[in-house]
Amino acid sequence: MKHLILFVAVLFTGSVFFAQQSKVLSSFLSKLNSVKDYSVNARIVAAVPMIKIKEVNAVLYFKQKDKFKIDTKGIAVLPKQGFIELNQFLATPSKYMSIESVGKEVSGISTIMVTVIPNDESTDVILAKLWIDPKKNVMMSSQLTTKSSGMLTTTYQYSDQIKYGLPSSLVFEIDVKKFKMPKSVAANIHQTKKSADNKDAKGKITIYLTGYKVNKGLSDKVFK
Amino acid sequence: MITDIKEWRKYLTISDHPKAKKVQPMQNKPIIQVNAISKSFGSFEAVKEVSFHVNRGDVFGFLGPNGAGKSTTIRCLLSLIKPNSGEIKLFGETFSSNRSMILSKIGSIIEKPDFYKYLSAEKNLEIFARISGAQVSRKQIYEMLEFVGLSGREKHRVKGFSHGMKQRLGIAQTLLHKPDLIILDEPTTGLDPQGIIEIRNLILRLKTEQNKTILLSSHQLSEIELIANRMVIINKGKTLVEGTVSELLNQQEVLILLEVDHIEKAMNLINNKFPLSSPELNAAGQIELTLQKNQTALLNKELIQAEILVSALEPKRKLEDFFIKIIGA
Amino acid sequence: MFLNNTYNEFIKIAAKPRSYIGLIALSVLIAVIIFAMKADGSTYISFVTASFEQTLSFSGDIMNGNLIAFIILQMLIVHIPLLVALVTGDLISGEANMGTIRMLASKPISRAHIVLSKFLAGAIYTLLLTIWLGFLALYVSRWIFGTGDLMVLTSEGLIIHPESDIEWRYLYGFLTAYLSLLTVSTLSICLSAFAENSIGPIVTTMAIIILFTIIGTMDVTVFDTIKPYLFTTHMAAWRSYFEDPVPWEAINESIRILICHNVILISIALFQFTRKDITS
Repeated sequence: MKHLILFVAVLFTGSVFFAQQSKVLSSFLSKLNSVKDYSVNARIVAAVPMIKIKEVNAVLYFKQKDKFKIDTKGIAVLPKQGFIELNQFLATPSKYMSIESVGKEVSGISTIMVTVIPNDESTDVILAKLWIDPKKNVMMSSQLTTKSSGMLTTTYQYSDQIKYGLPSSLVFEIDVKKFKMPKSVAANIHQTKKSADNKDAKGKITIYLTGYKVNKGLSDKVFK
Repeated sequence: MITDIKEWRKYLTISDHPKAKKVQPMQNKPIIQVNAISKSFGSFEAVKEVSFHVNRGDVFGFLGPNGAGKSTTIRCLLSLIKPNSGEIKLFGETFSSNRSMILSKIGSIIEKPDFYKYLSAEKNLEIFARISGAQVSRKQIYEMLEFVGLSGREKHRVKGFSHGMKQRLGIAQTLLHKPDLIILDEPTTGLDPQGIIEIRNLILRLKTEQNKTILLSSHQLSEIELIANRMVIINKGKTLVEGTVSELLNQQEVLILLEVDHIEKAMNLINNKFPLSSPELNAAGQIELTLQKNQTALLNKELIQAEILVSALEPKRKLEDFFIKIIGA
Repeated sequence: MFLNNTYNEFIKIAAKPRSYIGLIALSVLIAVIIFAMKADGSTYISFVTASFEQTLSFSGDIMNGNLIAFIILQMLIVHIPLLVALVTGDLISGEANMGTIRMLASKPISRAHIVLSKFLAGAIYTLLLTIWLGFLALYVSRWIFGTGDLMVLTSEGLIIHPESDIEWRYLYGFLTAYLSLLTVSTLSICLSAFAENSIGPIVTTMAIIILFTIIGTMDVTVFDTIKPYLFTTHMAAWRSYFEDPVPWEAINESIRILICHNVILISIALFQFTRKDITS
């Protein structure tokens, strides 16, 4: 079924786009590539059903091309495919095909939707949809579907680091339907109250990013 | 200090001895008053209306065969068992009115003395001293251990003690807080002859030197006869007889043990001269006969005149006979 | 006299070899758990977080001393009552067996004071056992594994407590766990007042705990009325301090019920011991 969709998509997008990557995506990526490294203070707020956690402060480190580290004193809950996996995937254009179409308005900004389809079926990524602001070349929203994690929707907000395409906040929406408690471990044998059903199947993790230090020359030792 | 029991044998009762402290009859207030106490365990009547009293300064013999109710009665005296009926007064008070005062003045050994086997002799005494109602110092504990012949064993665990040593430790525990009344339930049980003598001597010392009141339950009738001045005999939970030893044993009569060279000749002489004496030959080859007290010297004279050699002429107390007669009746 | 005898009782407890069985057993058990966690704790954690890890990742030091302490408490709280009963179940019946009870009861100390001093000594021993448990579980674990946030799995989900918000939870948790163990101690001493041998009260205490635990976990409506009043139902009240929000009402209810049990059991023991004939 997936192959059929791909074939049809390729046909209907027209020959102009056939065998070409999205220009909007390329502009976005070249902006991102200007960032060699950065560190940023993160405040992680998780609102996920079946998980109770207070705000956690962390420091994020990134260095081209795939070095990433979260430094947190406590325990932070993050989406599995949240940070750099998408960007890492997008960094190699030969591995995927991208198709532009008219996007929705995100935070009052008109966007162009770029659909990214991997060339290789063995990759974890099944499909990625990116809503990019064509004027500022920043991603306003993304929807990443992977074999391992299902669907992850992310919304981006920007402030003073918009020139690097680095967001000031990220909001992740997570599918939590599969969460289950292992009874033998969780069970309070004296607790006769039955556990609540997982009615609310969506969770949200918001990460506020402040104090960016971009292209300061991070040492590799930081990532060890 | 008197240590030789043979000296005591000359006297009929302790109170006869010149060194025994004399107690004026007017001052002889009962220290123990047991009035018709009864105790049943289920349907079994262990004690039935037992009554007796013990005066201050008495060495009181508490006698009875096995299962007579002695231990039950003694446990009632120590508030270990509550009688179903009757009254017990010690030092003029009942347990319900002043239990603490009463028990602070009593030292006791009930049956065999049991201690905390995993603790040393010193620690055991410390533990009991701490709740005895008296201030007892470590020095006093050591002195007491020396007094009972356990010097050098202070730090040894009771687990390794012999029965005799435990008995001595029991005495130490009894005396440590200087009680006025000492209750000893079978204190010589399981002891060797040496141990029995030591306990006997100790009781004598307590009586003569410290004028303690002692209630002594024992199967050693000869011991009771020697050291007690008053006694009660109970059987099947009931009081049979109570009184002074001298009154009960009728001191006008005395049992004589006679060892002679010509037994038949002596028997004939005795039957002739002392027809009421009922002479009998015992298993040891001795002649046992009962005489009036003032006839002992006369017997000796008659035997000598008959040229019968006398190797021993020993007055023997009659408590055993009396006891068996009373119990049998 | 009461305090003197309590001191005596503590000397006796301290001198008995069996008093150290509990402390040694605890130490060995905790050492085994710590060793297991050190060797393969990540597998244990994965088992807990497995269903979340499809969509989420957990950053930070999950396997820290605070978590190990929680795991230790959870594993051992069922077994520690036996270690308590082993000592406290012997306090009265052991003396009857040894014969020292008659020596004790013929001293100028009231029977009520004898019993209460044994309860107090038993309570102190239980407290020492709890403190030792707390020290090994919490401080030794922290020394080996470090500190950090605490991840707790409840029937309602995962709760992650920040490190700064853990100390008071453990303090109250241990206090409540102590109250649970004190109830076990009191039960065994109460049973000890009826027996003249040591084994009876110890075994009976454990049998009662097992029976009540089974009743408490059976999902049968006929037991629903009595479950809230069984002390075993409230023995895991310490866990409630790690919930969010902390169910203070439920905890207070558990504390009240445990205190009631203690009062009732002490009263029964007092009534029995003050009235009984000492024939041993």
